[in-house]
Amino acid sequence: MARTSSTSHGETAVLGKGTNLRGRIAGDGDLRVEGTISGDVALKGHLTVDGGAEITADVQARSVVVEGAIEGDISAQEAVAIRAGARVSGAIRGASISIEEGATVNGRIDADFELPPELGGKGGR
Amino acid sequence: MADVTVIGQGIFLRGSIKGDGDVEIRGRIEGDVEVAGEVTIGEGALVKADVTARRITVRGAVAGNLTGEDGVRLEEGARVVGDLRGAGIGIAEGALLRGNVQTGTGGESRGRARQQAAPARAPARVERVEPRKAPALVPKGTAGRKAAAAEERPAPPPPVVPVLKKGSRAALRKRSR
Amino acid sequence: MANTVISQGITIEGELTTDDDVVIEGTLRGKLVSKDTVKVETGAVIEADITASSLSVGGQITGNVTASDRVDLMPGARLIGDVKASRLTIADGASFKGNVDMDV
Repeated sequence: MARTSSTSHGETAVLGKGTNLRGRIAGDGDLRVEGTISGDVALKGHLTVDGGAEITADVQARSVVVEGAIEGDISAQEAVAIRAGARVSGAIRGASISIEEGATVNGRIDADFELPPELGGKGGR
Repeated sequence: MADVTVIGQGIFLRGSIKGDGDVEIRGRIEGDVEVAGEVTIGEGALVKADVTARRITVRGAVAGNLTGEDGVRLEEGARVVGDLRGAGIGIAEGALLRGNVQTGTGGESRGRARQQAAPARAPARVERVEPRKAPALVPKGTAGRKAAAAEERPAPPPPVVPVLKKGSRAALRKRSR
Repeated sequence: MANTVISQGITIEGELTTDDDVVIEGTLRGKLVSKDTVKVETGAVIEADITASSLSVGGQITGNVTASDRVDLMPGARLIGDVKASRLTIADGASFKGNVDMDV
């Protein structure tokens, strides 16, 4: 049960594997979720959802990497990466969105860009 | 090699592509694509059509829904407005999408593709072609494509994009012309 | 065993239930139940009841705390609430207001 004696102040928070939160998380810094959350997550930093983790709620962060399950909308200012094995059900919004084949995704993706004029867009991104 | 239908870069096709085999789109299509094989949409391609195939890979621009029974993949540079459906869906960093995504084997799409594949033992045909206003857009580069004999179809308007018939000697003869 | 760390800039509102040992540097409002140890660092602000195997307090807690083993209030700690634990230490410089029940 080794615990790091020097916890990084204001940096990565961890919601461990054996932890369940019924409630919301907000704040600066990064968060890695290994356990389960049913409640919104709103971060200024980076959110990592580990393989066995489950979040049932909307999440919002600067960037998001999902290997576990999210049932809710994902909203990032920068990149959203959905890894193979992830299960996501909800809308996904971000400056860049990538999904690995093997992920289970059911939802809407809204990237901000224009199609070329021949296809009805305003052209040029 | 004879199995792939290629819509070349300078081609503008208004109509539909149906049947077996693989299709590679490098030009512009407005209509419908429904094949049992693989569809590749190249970097400069402009596709305004729903595409249904066994597998779809996109590097160009698409306004339409993409249904790939085995999977749909958007590579970097792809720009898609439409829904994606497939057993596996991959979106690379740098690919842009606006639409719904649904992974999982959609029984509906599979059934549809199979239904189309069965009666269409014939190679991919081009149907419902409308005459184009600017014949100049049809490049002399039709020679560059694997063009099937225009003899295949009853009415051969020049703008139409004929499609290669599998193992057609006539086609090979034409191509080497 | 896994480790839960609520770092300084993070606020949690709700019920946290865990097998992990927990370190809190941020803010918690609600309830915390851990089967393991809980450490409330200096700067942490907690408005919640806490249940743990043992609890070490350097920050601020408004709520009742229950530990199956021990509760330690460090210098600088502020606890407003009742304590239920078999062992309790209150360091010089810690402040505490509440009842103590050591008959666990």
